[in-house]
Amino acid sequence: MDLSFTPDEQAFREEIRAWVKANLPDDIAHKVHNALRLTRNDMQRWAKILGQKGWLGHGWAKEFGGPGWNAVQKHLFEEECALAGAPRVVPFGPVMVAPVIMAFGNKEQQERFLPGIASGEVWWSQGYSEPGAGSDLASLKCKAERQGDHFVVNGQKTWTTLGQYGEWIFCLVRTSSEGKPQTGISFLLIDMKSPGVSVRPIKLLDGECEVNEVWFDNVKVPAENLIGEENKGWTYAKYLLGHERTNIADVNRTKRELERLKRIAKTEGVWDDARFRDQIALLEVDVVALEMLVLRVLSAEKSGKNSLDIAGLLKIRGSEIQQRYSELMMLAAGPYSLPFIEEAMEAGWQGDFPGGEVADAPLASTYFNMRKTTIYGGSNEVQRNIVAQTVLG
Amino acid sequence: MDFDFSSDQEQLRDAVRKWVDKAYSFDRRRSITAAGGFDRAAYKELAELGLTGLYVSDADGGMDMGPTEGMVVMEELGRGIVLEPLPQALIAGGVLGGYAPAELKATWLPRLTSGDALIVLAHQERALRYKLAACATTARHSADGWTVSGTKNVVPVADHADAFIVPAMADGKLALFLVERTASGVSASGYLTQDGGRAGDLTLEAAPAHLITLDGQTALEHAVDIGIAATCAEAVGVMDKTLLITTDYMNTRKQFGVVIATFQALRHRVADMKMQLELARSMSFYASLKLNAPAPERRAAMARAKVQLGQSMRFVGQQAVQLHGGIAVTDEYIASHYFKKLTQLEMTFGDTLHHLGEVSNRMQDTAGVFA
Repeated sequence: MDLSFTPDEQAFREEIRAWVKANLPDDIAHKVHNALRLTRNDMQRWAKILGQKGWLGHGWAKEFGGPGWNAVQKHLFEEECALAGAPRVVPFGPVMVAPVIMAFGNKEQQERFLPGIASGEVWWSQGYSEPGAGSDLASLKCKAERQGDHFVVNGQKTWTTLGQYGEWIFCLVRTSSEGKPQTGISFLLIDMKSPGVSVRPIKLLDGECEVNEVWFDNVKVPAENLIGEENKGWTYAKYLLGHERTNIADVNRTKRELERLKRIAKTEGVWDDARFRDQIALLEVDVVALEMLVLRVLSAEKSGKNSLDIAGLLKIRGSEIQQRYSELMMLAAGPYSLPFIEEAMEAGWQGDFPGGEVADAPLASTYFNMRKTTIYGGSNEVQRNIVAQTVLG
Repeated sequence: MDFDFSSDQEQLRDAVRKWVDKAYSFDRRRSITAAGGFDRAAYKELAELGLTGLYVSDADGGMDMGPTEGMVVMEELGRGIVLEPLPQALIAGGVLGGYAPAELKATWLPRLTSGDALIVLAHQERALRYKLAACATTARHSADGWTVSGTKNVVPVADHADAFIVPAMADGKLALFLVERTASGVSASGYLTQDGGRAGDLTLEAAPAHLITLDGQTALEHAVDIGIAATCAEAVGVMDKTLLITTDYMNTRKQFGVVIATFQALRHRVADMKMQLELARSMSFYASLKLNAPAPERRAAMARAKVQLGQSMRFVGQQAVQLHGGIAVTDEYIASHYFKKLTQLEMTFGDTLHHLGEVSNRMQDTAGVFA
């Protein structure tokens, strides 16, 4: 039992910290620290900087060109990036599809797709959810029919995060309607420039179009874009869900946002109100407890032990805490969180924000945006089913 | 960063668990409560396992172990809802070993280790609630030595203890004393506590006292922090077992023709209990691993830990009763007593709101496990 990082781990942290400080563009960090809107270019600029260093796929093994870091090193890297104000890496390429291509794709697929993911050149999207398949993902209907050397895809995906920027999309598609729903699903990589693919952004509560609907109308997809075997896609998707488990708790970003909450509370004059400050104190305890939980999972992973029973808790707790800090930020600003002035959420806006504190502009929008966290990635109710299964059988 | 237990620590855990399973049945516990809530023989058995001397140094004949071992032991005693107050022995070992003059250590530490002396912290006063900064009890120094006067409440097993660690004001400053129960001017009452254990009030009328340290504040805070870490670990053991008892029951009890473990409303409650248990375990690790940190860092960590543990204990205890149904509000059923223990532990060494205030007052710009 030891709560401290080893000297090697500390040195690793210092190295990452120095590199991030030297390479993260100030304008991007400014936006992140103030919850201002990020453009596609912002996100991709940072992705390419990481890509050039070989760290965009920071969870990748050496044989695929990754740094080959262990669970603790990955955590330290993510923490240093988050605290410095780096945007979250858009996960669909490097974190989600790449491990599946590595584990189940063939050599040609690996050589064809991994370099573009590693460099940040190619923007990937995820095609999982459908209007009729949310938490019950296996009921998905988007159909792929084999016709000679290609598949013909018809159907619709939805909630495709940042799909408006997507160049490629990995999809779960139905290739068989026999047997259990899970056994007729395949994992297909689709070029979003293919004829018949159309994308419609969905405007959300915060005024932004973070997600999209994606339609497939007789889209021809070469058979060589099938990952692994036909009808085995569900297995690959589950493998993906088991990947990067601590990432989903997002405790590093939450630590940064707790600092921001304190700044906001001071500016808004509620820091000295014991009733309000106690709520922040409660959140601070929640954050420390979550971080300890994450560290326990990392420690177990490092020593090769099974921590499934606690890893399942991370998504639930992490998302609840994200919602809570966004809620407290909004409450701290009170009436000054109400004006909805979209330009004020852009960097460099020079207008007069009501009350004079432009930092209040995005608070309610962030609160609205964060409602997604207990819904996506398997709703927290589905997560509770999983946790209950580990405890009750 | 490593949360694995060493094989020595696992052996220690096994030894304590074995003792609890074999020697501390629910029936024995029940008869101890019926006889007043404390059993000297059971306490002596803990001593024979080496546990009362856990924090006593090698030189003083103890086990010379650290907070992780203390945590392991307390988790197991919690699992058996053991009434005999081992945290008091941990406190006595830490405080006497760390702050007392040599002759006091030489007299008391071997007896603490052997179990011949039961030494308890007597710090609770009516006007103080959970504050540690001052007290109404006073100490006087004369040619004959120190005497202490005042009243302390809810002192663990007061009427069975052999000596008390007593905070008292000496010249306006908090000092810490050791007072023997058989000394003149000492009287101790006794009563049951909610968990089926025993406490009492201690009245001191110019009672002769041995000075432990004039820097009573530092030593008392340390004493309480040893108590908090032990309480957190104990609570984890209690909750662990509470969840186990509850899920076993849910997989057996049938209603509407099926076991109640099949109902989703109840399953989600179990998931929430598991969440609270693991957050609590995480913060108990945190508390024990910070117990040897410099005082400000240690104090902040204990407050954070106790806020989490307090919330977890209340939730797990209350939900265990609810998930069982009527059986768990009977005195006959075992889970009821786990609930009572959790309730009592929340109020031991500072309740959730008290410690939330401590966290609130100590907040810095940055926060985390390492800040």
